[in-house]
Amino acid sequence: MTGAAVRAGQPTGGGADRLAIVPAGLPSGRRWSDSAFYPYALVLPALVVLVLVSLVPFCYAVWLSVHSVEFGQVGDFNGWDNFAKVLANDRFWNSLRVAAIFMLIAVPLEFVLGLAGALVLNQRVWGRSLWLPLLFIPSMMAPIVVGLLWKIMLAGSWGLLSVNVIERFGWLDGTSVFASSDHALIALALVDVWQWTPFMMLAFFAGRQALPESPYRAAAVDGANGFQTFFHLTLPLMTPLLVVIGMLRFIDAFKIFDSIFILTAGGPGVSTESPSVLAYKMTFEQWRIGESAALAVMVWVAFFVLCSVFYHLARKRLNAF
Amino acid sequence: MNPQTFRAPTRAALAVVAMMLISATGHAQSWNYKEAAKPFAGTKIRVLDEITPLQETMKTLVPEFVALTGIQVEYELLNHFEVINKGQADMLSRRGYYDAVMLHGFQMGQMLAANAIEPLDSFMKDKALMNPALDLGDMIEPANKSFGVFKGQTYGFVNWNYNMVYWARQDLLSHPAEKTAFKAKYGYELAPAKTFKEFLDIGEFFTRKSGQMLAGQPLKTDFYGILHEGITGGATLVSVWENLMKNFGGGLFDAKGAPAFDTPENVAALTMWAKMWQYSPPGQAEYSLVDVPTVMGNGIAAQAIAYSDFVLGVDKPGGSPLAGKFTYSGIPVNADFKGPRSAGSEPSGIVINKASKQKAATFLFMQWMIDKDTQTKLINAGKGGVPIRTSSFAMPVLGGANAAFYTAMKSTLAVAESKPKVPKIFEIYDALGPIVQQVGQGKLSPAEGAKQGQAKMTAICKACLL
Repeated sequence: MTGAAVRAGQPTGGGADRLAIVPAGLPSGRRWSDSAFYPYALVLPALVVLVLVSLVPFCYAVWLSVHSVEFGQVGDFNGWDNFAKVLANDRFWNSLRVAAIFMLIAVPLEFVLGLAGALVLNQRVWGRSLWLPLLFIPSMMAPIVVGLLWKIMLAGSWGLLSVNVIERFGWLDGTSVFASSDHALIALALVDVWQWTPFMMLAFFAGRQALPESPYRAAAVDGANGFQTFFHLTLPLMTPLLVVIGMLRFIDAFKIFDSIFILTAGGPGVSTESPSVLAYKMTFEQWRIGESAALAVMVWVAFFVLCSVFYHLARKRLNAF
Repeated sequence: MNPQTFRAPTRAALAVVAMMLISATGHAQSWNYKEAAKPFAGTKIRVLDEITPLQETMKTLVPEFVALTGIQVEYELLNHFEVINKGQADMLSRRGYYDAVMLHGFQMGQMLAANAIEPLDSFMKDKALMNPALDLGDMIEPANKSFGVFKGQTYGFVNWNYNMVYWARQDLLSHPAEKTAFKAKYGYELAPAKTFKEFLDIGEFFTRKSGQMLAGQPLKTDFYGILHEGITGGATLVSVWENLMKNFGGGLFDAKGAPAFDTPENVAALTMWAKMWQYSPPGQAEYSLVDVPTVMGNGIAAQAIAYSDFVLGVDKPGGSPLAGKFTYSGIPVNADFKGPRSAGSEPSGIVINKASKQKAATFLFMQWMIDKDTQTKLINAGKGGVPIRTSSFAMPVLGGANAAFYTAMKSTLAVAESKPKVPKIFEIYDALGPIVQQVGQGKLSPAEGAKQGQAKMTAICKACLL
């Protein structure tokens, strides 16, 4: 917009309640908000930020993934070489398996416990105003603090829970939680459940609070019991929220890095090495930047496809959106 | 020859020698940091270093350099992983945010291959810059040269001589009942282990269940004979490589730099490694180099192999209820191997970033850090430390109650060598770390582990040395 063409701040019809600016080129008397460009102008700042902070780095990662990168210096175009190397690396497939197991343990548990907790909170339980702020604590903690906290709890032979419970009762003979490839991943998933269930609970609680009361009154009049009310009212009404939160948690859980890095560094062996931990090692320790960029791109594409399928299913089957 | 003609050139030669000596002495006496830094007064340099108690003490001394030279020093300390990542990222990107970066010995191969380190030779030849009294001959070798000298050029000086020592509970080793029982079982005196065979025997002897007696007292928790870092990554592989494999005549590379992980010597060393785990705490696979002193300080293990700079944090008043009850020795050896002994170490130092714009001023700071005077202040200020100079061992603070500790450290430093210059060392560590851990846990046999390790190493590099 040029200053000469703008009658800034002048109401242009429709009363003084709307402030419209007429840019150059618009017929006199027509509001800027009527312009075909208006919606685009509104989203432009967000779009610019999104492109700068998200799309540009992503495009750069795609570019790196098809180049040889030696010690941080970008070399020649090498086509699919980096992708082929990653796909031939058994550590990559192992990391996907680790992430899948982690997600399948952590997210459903967080989901079910979070929803159950939200419904309990909705019953005006005693001390709710006290519980609510406390529930924020785990998800407000920096991941590094969560890792250190659970290290202090579960470290073999000196952790509080390890010494006083696990080892005292001989639950893990000859090993410790994070030293056992059979238990380490489960323990990491449970740490994630500890951290994120309260968040799910609060999100679902807020969603439940926002539901209209009239259908519930009608259901009560019709004599619906608690289960019927939950399955026929609460669940359908909350589906959009449940789908969105569930999807976000799935994506977030897949990206797990901090707690694994602190508690097991991907071990024992490679039994807890998630794609993020593997990518970190490839990038910052080994400087295999081309390959790690290829890994990132593949994971992104896989997630994009997965989320798209999930979104369409949720929209068509669950009317979630 | 006419005596006159003989005398004249002799006198002339003597005069030249005398002048040279006077000149050299004069230069040595006249050179000082203040004068040398005059062209750089007001210059600001950024130095990235690792955070341990040693560097935290150094940080308290840096203002002295600033006051002395007028060179402003931003001395940033980051943890082990961050100093590696951030330092390497800065050097490899050629951004030059940091003028000097601390590199561990194992990083040198990668950084040299990337041509990211500035050689020091031109500065060392510059009489205005080089401290003639720096006395590099006093630096502990082979650590210093194996770290900083490569193909005839100098790239850095050692200033952090990380090293491992044998660490044991003296109160247990000297307990009369335990000594008697040990001698009856093994046929020799109970004392700090000198060989890995003894290390294993002592480990077996002291591994006991809760409720059994230890030094005349019933145990409240299980007790273990051997404690060692066991986490994937970290320094587990380094310890296995330098403390075990090399003492068994093996190693990671052959003389030509090709992978040599599946040798009979390495299989024997891995067998010893697996046996050590039988007497270790259940959580050993998650123990990092920081956990080892923590667990030792908690009093559930009889012996450990640990980094000496972490040990000092435990064996000091207030560091642990067991402070003062420990003893130390050099890393055990393999009595059957007649070659040179080895001991785990990580000679490390500051190097000048190739992209630095203040190289000369940075070189002055590097010299000041390893200067005899600075090192004396550093060790006194820290009430101990890890010497980089042979002469430091004569300091009273490195004796007294800690004499055994510093004797053990001296034993390790006598053979402490920096890692060979391997550009792909991180990939090799990453590939072998999990294998070594799994051998320890008994999930892979030593022979299987050696075979897998060799295959993985060969896939990474065939001629691995720079």
